[in-house]
Amino acid sequence: MSAPETMINELVTKAEVRDLSFYYGDFRALHGIGMPVHERRVTALIGPSGCGKSTFLRCFNRMHDLYPGNRYEGQIVLHPENTDLLAREVDPIEVRMRIGMVFQKPNPFPKTVFENVAYGLRVRGEGSRRVIEDKVEQALHDAALWEEVKDRLRQPAYNLSGGQQQRLCIARALATDPELLLFDEPTSALDPIATASIEELMHDLKQRVTILIVTHNMQQAARVSDFTAYMYLGQLIEFGVTDDLFIKPKMKQTEDYITGRFG
Amino acid sequence: MSRAELVSRKRYEVLFAALGLLALAIAVLTFLTLFVDMAVKGLPRLDLDFFTSFPSRRAANAGILSAWVGSTLVMLVTALFAVPLGVASGIYLEEYAPKNWMTDLIEINITNLAGVPSIVYGLLALGLFVYQFGLGQSILTAGLTLALLILPVVIVATREAIRSIPQIIREGSYALGATRWQTVRYHILPYSSPGILTGIIIGMARAIGETAPIITIGALTFIAFLPPAPVSAAPPFLSFEWLTSPFTVMPIQMFNWTSRPEAAFQANAAAAGFVLVFMTLAMNGLAIWLRYRLRRNIRW
Amino acid sequence: MSEHASKQYDLDLGSIRSRVLAMGGLVESQIRRALDALATGDVALSDEVVAADHRVNAMEVALDGDCSQLIVRRQPAAGDLRMIFAITKTVTDLERIGDEAQKIARMAKNIQERGGGTLARPMVEVRHTAEAAISMLRRTLDAFARLDVDTAREVIRDDAAVDTEFRSVLRQLITFMMEDPRTISTALDIVWVAKAIERIGDHAKNMAEYVIYIVEGTDVRHTQIP
Repeated sequence: MSAPETMINELVTKAEVRDLSFYYGDFRALHGIGMPVHERRVTALIGPSGCGKSTFLRCFNRMHDLYPGNRYEGQIVLHPENTDLLAREVDPIEVRMRIGMVFQKPNPFPKTVFENVAYGLRVRGEGSRRVIEDKVEQALHDAALWEEVKDRLRQPAYNLSGGQQQRLCIARALATDPELLLFDEPTSALDPIATASIEELMHDLKQRVTILIVTHNMQQAARVSDFTAYMYLGQLIEFGVTDDLFIKPKMKQTEDYITGRFG
Repeated sequence: MSRAELVSRKRYEVLFAALGLLALAIAVLTFLTLFVDMAVKGLPRLDLDFFTSFPSRRAANAGILSAWVGSTLVMLVTALFAVPLGVASGIYLEEYAPKNWMTDLIEINITNLAGVPSIVYGLLALGLFVYQFGLGQSILTAGLTLALLILPVVIVATREAIRSIPQIIREGSYALGATRWQTVRYHILPYSSPGILTGIIIGMARAIGETAPIITIGALTFIAFLPPAPVSAAPPFLSFEWLTSPFTVMPIQMFNWTSRPEAAFQANAAAAGFVLVFMTLAMNGLAIWLRYRLRRNIRW
Repeated sequence: MSEHASKQYDLDLGSIRSRVLAMGGLVESQIRRALDALATGDVALSDEVVAADHRVNAMEVALDGDCSQLIVRRQPAAGDLRMIFAITKTVTDLERIGDEAQKIARMAKNIQERGGGTLARPMVEVRHTAEAAISMLRRTLDAFARLDVDTAREVIRDDAAVDTEFRSVLRQLITFMMEDPRTISTALDIVWVAKAIERIGDHAKNMAEYVIYIVEGTDVRHTQIP
C-alpha cells in the first residue's frame, strides 16, 4: 500500500473532462461532468444502474457517433497535445486509434487468434508481416495470454475459454499501443478465477497504459483502482483517491451507495 | 384430479402431433409421387444422347442440348447482374443508409417486389430491354429479366444475413479505429456470406425454372443450334456474340414437348423435367452445404 | 444512521453493538464488586469476581467471531468499516479492563489473607480515583452508544486527571512504606490496585478515541486533543 501523498506528487494528467454533458436526442444523460484522468493509473467509475457510467465511458472514444441523434457538450481534453476529443473537427476514427476499448461481453471476431490481434494493425495499413507478427506476440505477452495460445495462433478464437477470450480482446486493444484503455465492465460475464486474472492483468498494465474502468462491483473498484468516481443519475457526485473514498467518503450519497443504504 | 388433467392435456398434444405429421406426409407424398412418376416415365430416356442432341421432330432423336446450354448461359448472366447489384444494395441499405422514412419506403417496396408475378417482369423486359434498349430476344435480355426477378430475394437475404451480425462485433471493429468500409470488408461481408450465398443460390434455383418471363421476351421453342462459343482459338479469344444470340431454356423445351400429342414426347418431357428437378435440388443441396461450411466459425 | 438495503445487515450490526454495551456493563459491575471486596474484606466476593472474568473473556471471543463473520458477509465500507474496526478494538480494551478488575479482586483477597486492615488515608484517594475511572468508562460507553464525539473528547481529556491522581496515591504510599516498614506488603498491594485503576482509565480513553474514528474518520490515537 503506497502513501497517497507520494502518489499525488508523481501524478500526470492524461485527460481532463470539462463540463461534459451528453444528450440522447432530447434526453440529457450526463450533466456537466468534470474530473481528471491520471496517467498510468486506474480510474474506476461506479454507481447504480442507469447512472450514466457507460455512457460517460463511451464519450472517450466517440462510440456515440456511430448512432444518430447523439450530441456532446463540453470537452474531453487529451494531453499532452491538448486536443479536445469531442470537437467536431476531430475525426472519431483518429480518436479510436489512440484510445482502445474492451467490452462487457468478450467479443472476439470469428477469425483466428492471430487475426484477431492483428486486426487493429491491419486497419492502420500496417503491411509488414514481420512487424505484425512481432506486435501480435508482444500484445499477447502483455495480456498474459501468450503461453496459452502460442501453439494455437491459427486456430479459431472461439475455441478459447471465456476468460481467455477476454484477454484476447485486451491483447487486440493493446496491439495498437493505445494511450488510454477503456474497460466497460470487463469481468461481469466471467467466473471468479477469470475475473481475478483480469484484475491481476490490469495491475500490470497500468504501468504502461492509463486505464478507465466501469464496474458495478464495488469491491472490484476498491481492489483495482487508484481513483474512483461515483456517479448518480448522470452526475458526478464524488471523485477521489480510492482508499479515501471507500474508508471516508466526503458525500453522504457516496457513503449511502457504498454501504448499501438508500435511505 | 391432476393426473386426469395431465392425461387429457397429453391427449391434445398427441392429437396435434398426429395432425402435423399428417400434413407433412401429404405434402411430401405429393411431391414424391410426382417425382417418381416423372422418373418412371423419363428415366428410360436418359442417356448420353439425350444430353448431347438437339431437339428433333422425331422423339427418339430429340435431346436437351440447346436447352441446358441455354439455361446455363442465362443463369450465368443472371448471376452476373443479380449478385453485385443485390449484395451491394443490401449492404448499402443496412450499413450506410440513414434510418429515415425514405429508407423504410424502399425496404417495403423491395419486399413487395418479391411477390410480383413473374410474367409482369416479362412484360417489363419486353418493353424495356427488347424494344427500348434494343437488346433483342437474346440471352442477355433473359439474364437481365431473371436478374430483376431474383433481385429482391438476393437483397432480402443479404439484409437478413447482415442483420444477424451482432452489433457488438461492429463496435469491436470500430473501436479499433476501422472505417466503415474496412468494417464492411473485413467483417460484415465475410460473416454474412453464408447467408448471402444461400440467398443467391435459392434465387437462382427459382430462376432456372421460370418460364413465363422467358416466353414473353421471346425465347424460341425450337432451337437446333448452340449460341456462339464465348472462347475461340482465334483472336480476340473472348467473344460476346453469345449474349445476343437466340436461345431456349429447359422449361420452355419441356413445355414444347408436352404440347405434342405423341407419347414419346411426353417421355422426353418427363426426362427433361427430371433433369430440371435434379438440377434444382442439387443447387439447394449446394446452398445447404456451403452454408454449413461457411458457418462453422460463427457462433451467433 | 439510515438503514441498509439489507435488513439482516442492520440486525447483525445492531446485535453486535448492543452486546458491546452489555460487555461494558458487565465489566463495570466487575470493577465495582472488586472495589467492594477491597473495602469490606469479603473474600467470597473476591472469589466471585475472579471467577466471573471467564464470562468477560467468552464475550470477547464471541464478539470477535461475529465481527469476522460480518466482514466476510458484508465487506463493509466507509462508516460501517470504521465501526466494525473500532468495535474489535473496543472489545479488546473491555476485556483488558475485565482483567484489571480481576487483579483488584485478587489484591483484596491478598490483603485480607494477610490479616486485613487497609491503610485508611490512601484508600480514600484510591476510592476517589476509582470513581473517576468508572465515570470515564461509563461515559465512553455512552459516547459509543450515541456516537457522541463531544463526550468522547471529554473522556480523553479526563484521563490526564486520573494519571495525576495515581501519581499522588503512589507518593502517599511510598511515604507510608518509608515511615513504617511493616505496612510495605499491604501498601504494595494497594499500589497494584491503584495501577489497575489507572490502566482502566487508559483503556476508557482508548475506547473514546475509537468513537472519534467511527464518526469523523480521523485516527486521533497518540495525538494531543486540543
